[in-house]
Amino acid sequence: MRTIIIRLIHSIQISLEAESISPDKFAPLTLSQINALEIWQGNRKMKLEDFFQVDGDEGSAKTEDMFVRLEGDFSRIKRLVEGMSNGIVEVYGNVGMHAGAKMKGGILRIMGDASDWLGREMQGGKITVSGNVGNYAGSGYRGEKCGMRGGEVEIHGNAGALLGEHMCGGSIFVHGDVGDFPGSLNQGGTIIIGGSTYLPGAEMGNGTITIKGPARLLPSYQQLEIVDIEGIKYRKYVGDLVENGKGELFLAEAQSS
Amino acid sequence: MIIRGGIIYDPTNGIFGEEMDLCIEKGRVVEDAKGEEIDARGLLVMPGGVDAHSHIAGGKVNTGRIMRPDDSRSGVEPRTRVCRPSTGYTVPNCYAIGYRYAKLGYTTAFEAATPIISARHTHEELEEIPIVDKGALTLFGNNWQVMESVRDKDIAKLSAFIAWGLRAARGYGVKIVNPGGGEAWGFGSNVKGIHDTVPNFDITPADIIRGLAQANEMLRLPHSIHLHFNNLGKPGNYATAIETLELLKDIKPSRMRQVVHVAHMQFSAYGGTSWRDFESKAPAIADYMNQNSHATMDMGQLLFGSATTMTADAPLEYSNARLTHNKWSNLDLELEEASGVVPMIYFRKALVNAIQWAIGLELALLTKDSWKVLMTTDHPNGSPFVNYPEVISLLMSKPKRDAEMATLHEQVSKRTVLANVDRELDWGDITVMTRAAPARVLGLEDKGHLGIGADADIAIYDLKPEDVDPSMDYQLVKKAMATTKYTIKSGLIVAKQGEILAVPEGRTYWVDASVPKADMDRLMIDLNEKFEKYYSIRLSNYMVQDAYIPNPAVIKAGLELESGSLVKEVA
Repeated sequence: MRTIIIRLIHSIQISLEAESISPDKFAPLTLSQINALEIWQGNRKMKLEDFFQVDGDEGSAKTEDMFVRLEGDFSRIKRLVEGMSNGIVEVYGNVGMHAGAKMKGGILRIMGDASDWLGREMQGGKITVSGNVGNYAGSGYRGEKCGMRGGEVEIHGNAGALLGEHMCGGSIFVHGDVGDFPGSLNQGGTIIIGGSTYLPGAEMGNGTITIKGPARLLPSYQQLEIVDIEGIKYRKYVGDLVENGKGELFLAEAQSS
Repeated sequence: MIIRGGIIYDPTNGIFGEEMDLCIEKGRVVEDAKGEEIDARGLLVMPGGVDAHSHIAGGKVNTGRIMRPDDSRSGVEPRTRVCRPSTGYTVPNCYAIGYRYAKLGYTTAFEAATPIISARHTHEELEEIPIVDKGALTLFGNNWQVMESVRDKDIAKLSAFIAWGLRAARGYGVKIVNPGGGEAWGFGSNVKGIHDTVPNFDITPADIIRGLAQANEMLRLPHSIHLHFNNLGKPGNYATAIETLELLKDIKPSRMRQVVHVAHMQFSAYGGTSWRDFESKAPAIADYMNQNSHATMDMGQLLFGSATTMTADAPLEYSNARLTHNKWSNLDLELEEASGVVPMIYFRKALVNAIQWAIGLELALLTKDSWKVLMTTDHPNGSPFVNYPEVISLLMSKPKRDAEMATLHEQVSKRTVLANVDRELDWGDITVMTRAAPARVLGLEDKGHLGIGADADIAIYDLKPEDVDPSMDYQLVKKAMATTKYTIKSGLIVAKQGEILAVPEGRTYWVDASVPKADMDRLMIDLNEKFEKYYSIRLSNYMVQDAYIPNPAVIKAGLELESGSLVKEVA
């Protein structure tokens, strides 16, 4: 396993577009080549070494043998590991918008908070976040018909609004509370919410949403039978009937009165 | 400038792959020149490409951009020393359109449909498209004034209106889209054939088409009528196509060209009674084209992947939106047109899409005379124009077509004849379909060839035609056609190996046709009344001003009459 450690040298005022920080990009390169990778700050083309100190093992490796450790406050750094296909990335600190976007495989662990658009249009792999995440996690960007298509996202804290919008596949598990409209316009996939939420599954066509905490439902959901999943009783609903949807929604019975 | 040793293809002048030097001076091809030399030894050299049917500017294109932020995200390229930033794939921004055409070796592109009332917008966008020369066809097929003149059988007044409309829109030619259908759409319906009645006008699409064709020839316009058939995009519509073409057989062309150019024939060569028994009728269309010589067509080739359909055929876009459950934009343009935009993805696994893909290729391969078929993808309806190299490699290689067919639904080989077509086009055919024929069809005398006096628009490709077998080396062909080694526009090197070096402003062609003053006076009485009663703007604010066309190239046309009776300024 080849380890690369990237530390932020000083705090950043203008956001970076950091799709070049990715195990796929690093795998074939030497440390000095990694230092010279192109990175955009606003409308300026810069190099990785202008912002980061890069340490770790020399020589090239296969992407699946890459281990990348990021240290520092990455909250102004966007598009981290975009399109990553394999390997492991651990971030010790917060991350900015679009982290893990279009990810195809591998593991991204964030020991901190993530901003908006975490894992948007993700196709595979796994993202875990120890803290909270912003809006639109696992969704599709503006105009996109299909958001997350595969893979897993696990969020230990809370998530913002419009979680998994336009989701077509994969799964999202949020341990805490979720903001408004999770799983709206969904075409597939699974969302599990440990805490509370508001108006889930608006215009959902397909997919599954399970809510363990309190939630207000849309009137366009039809209640079916009560089901038992892993010892908890849930009320099962189908909808969104406005769109003739066949999505399934489970709301923990203790919370639904 | 001298281009040394290229293998030249210039079908207009009967040159098919001869090693020759080309001399350029003051933006034109000349006998002898001095100065910079370009080494093109053994390389493929063609005139700059001419795209006669492409949706590159105006309201529809911009609506497509607004509807598709997802599309803007693809194709993002940062600015360079000479270029502004590019965005988009099916609906690129204005700058990207110019750069991408230049990289492909194209130097002329015509916007295919502009309503007169929104022509100012079209010209604002055309002005921002760098490098290429351009023009815009003007929509007449659903205009109240046209339909009234047709009803009154007053071809002289109709001619006057066309001349006035082309001047008002600074337009190049007469575009007709689903004649009568756009008007019917105002009442939520459509016309079902060329002999159906247009609501409130007591005429049929056939009357409109014939009337406009007669007026077009009366005015001796450089381009013929440019027709988008009724029933386009519906199974079984090949019968409408042939019926419509029969309608125009007896009309005499006023210039050395076709009487009608059919837009994106692929969408009108469908058999079957529904999408279930949908099949190709390209062989029937190709047979008709082989037996008759009054019509030309462009392919409207469909390729798998993302596209954005946009047309003045509003009822068609309504059915597209219903079929795909996709976003839909719909517009009604006062007395003139309707239009619609729907994003689309064509799937390799969808049988209907696969058959459509095959139909475009069949049309091009089964029509014996390449001069009758222009290569287009009806950008961005069938596919964006950046995919022309894919179409070229498909037309030139049977093995490539076989390899593609192997990935498609087995029914494709039963419902189309493409698997049995062995023809492979050569570089001469490709030059005709992408350069010489589009220029001739449009009536652009200085484009599409490399004779003395022609515009020095030249594409030099990094491919040695004497060493490469396009049938086997189709990947090489596709790669070479995607980026020129040099693109020369009006004698200036604008692109070199995919890098844009210069961004000159292109010219905008429009047609200034003269008509007798008496006809124009009669017309103005009608128009004044319409603007007074119905239009949302005044006649005085309607015409596109010269300020919107900074680099005009005006082609004169009109009725030949004794001097004195001509109206030079028609408005």
